[in-house]
Amino acid sequence: MPTRSLSNTCDEIMFSRFFKSHAKSLRNFLFYKYGNKDHADDLTQEAFIKLWQNCAAVPIEKAKSYVYIIANNSALNGIAHQKVVLEYEKNFTGSDKTNENPEFILEEKQFKSKLLKAIENLNETQRVAFLMHRIDGKKYSEIAEELNISIKAVEKRMHLALVELRKQIDSIK
Amino acid sequence: MNTMEENHILSKWLNNDLTDAELADFKADPDYEKYEKIKKYTAHLEVPDFNDTKILEHVVSHKKTTPKGIVLYKNWLFKVAAILVVGLGITLIMQNFATQTQYAPNGKKNTFSLPDNSEVVLNAGSEIEYKKRNWDNNRNLELHGEAYFKVAKGKKFEVTTDLGKVAVLGTQFNVKARKNRFDVTCFEGRVKVNYKNTEVILTQGQSVIFENGKQINTSVNSPKPEWLENQIAFNTENLRNILDEIQRQYDVSIEVKTKDSDKLFTGKIPTDNLDVALQIIATTYHLEPNKIAANKIIFEKK
Repeated sequence: MPTRSLSNTCDEIMFSRFFKSHAKSLRNFLFYKYGNKDHADDLTQEAFIKLWQNCAAVPIEKAKSYVYIIANNSALNGIAHQKVVLEYEKNFTGSDKTNENPEFILEEKQFKSKLLKAIENLNETQRVAFLMHRIDGKKYSEIAEELNISIKAVEKRMHLALVELRKQIDSIK
Repeated sequence: MNTMEENHILSKWLNNDLTDAELADFKADPDYEKYEKIKKYTAHLEVPDFNDTKILEHVVSHKKTTPKGIVLYKNWLFKVAAILVVGLGITLIMQNFATQTQYAPNGKKNTFSLPDNSEVVLNAGSEIEYKKRNWDNNRNLELHGEAYFKVAKGKKFEVTTDLGKVAVLGTQFNVKARKNRFDVTCFEGRVKVNYKNTEVILTQGQSVIFENGKQINTSVNSPKPEWLENQIAFNTENLRNILDEIQRQYDVSIEVKTKDSDKLFTGKIPTDNLDVALQIIATTYHLEPNKIAANKIIFEKK
């Protein structure tokens, strides 16, 4: 008869499944925060190693907030923040593909780079919440859970991020 | 638009949660187009690739550890000191209070000493549990399977099995408690055996077997159990029990494809030569041994 382990997190299949569904978004969250891909990868790896090592004590239902807390805590130890450099999908050219007017194309290009710049300039909390929604497609409720804040607070950050982006784009020449 | 209620409108709109009326209102806002563009463009952003397979491999290559508390001190010296202190404390407590378990898997024997230097040899597929705390005044242990004891002089030494109890003062004896058969042999000194309501005292060279309530008294000539010298001695034992013992000794699995014989066997079988062991059984019971794998044997009718 198979013996039940202390916690299902120790089961390698369960653990891998959990890793596959959450590791990338944890990494992205850390990347939005610090802007350094390698660092985000390392912190993610460390958080999951801790989870694996302590699997007996952390049931799978608690694993998500566990890795976010670990990642956040280890991130506190003085990491230099860098600019969050993002890119557009390779095949994304702009919102209107039918307009081939050179002036319009130039405008599109300018808007795209202004937007990236504006995102870089967002404050950290707004940027993190905003990108979790826009890039990872997370629901406000998920963002709230992962950042350990209320849904209202997420909505406020979204709003402020949008206002800030709009203002910045207006002011960047 | 610069009122506080806009707060909800913008985030609701981004999440496609606006009602038709709210959406219509918002579309009238001079900045709507800009927001719409931000929304559209940010839906096509990308982050650098994430090599999750490689990281997962690295993660699970780490050993799982037993749960620890939350790390309170960042200074590694604190951590090391704390771990040492806690570890030492736990070890001391565990050694005194926790039940010690000694185990011999199939195919292996295990020799160890008790706190009073009494010696125990566990036969294959056996287990012993005892507590170190106050051992000298409370020499009690629980046996599953078979073991040979060389007991140091002292207070009462008691072996409890599922089938019965053996109590001694200082002596050498063997206890075998498997299935329904309880087998005790005294090699030196005196041994008191309790089986259900029966009490038997054995002296040097005497042996008693209780099987399904029946008592058989025999005697032995050897100074030590044969299994310590790579042999097993059987005394009026049935085929099933003999095969069980061989399975334990060699860590193999044996199947018999004929009706179980009720003939009883008395004799010795080696524990270091499987082929010879199988041959002895084959000849005695008129069976044909077939080794279908290194650890799987089937006996068929000749």
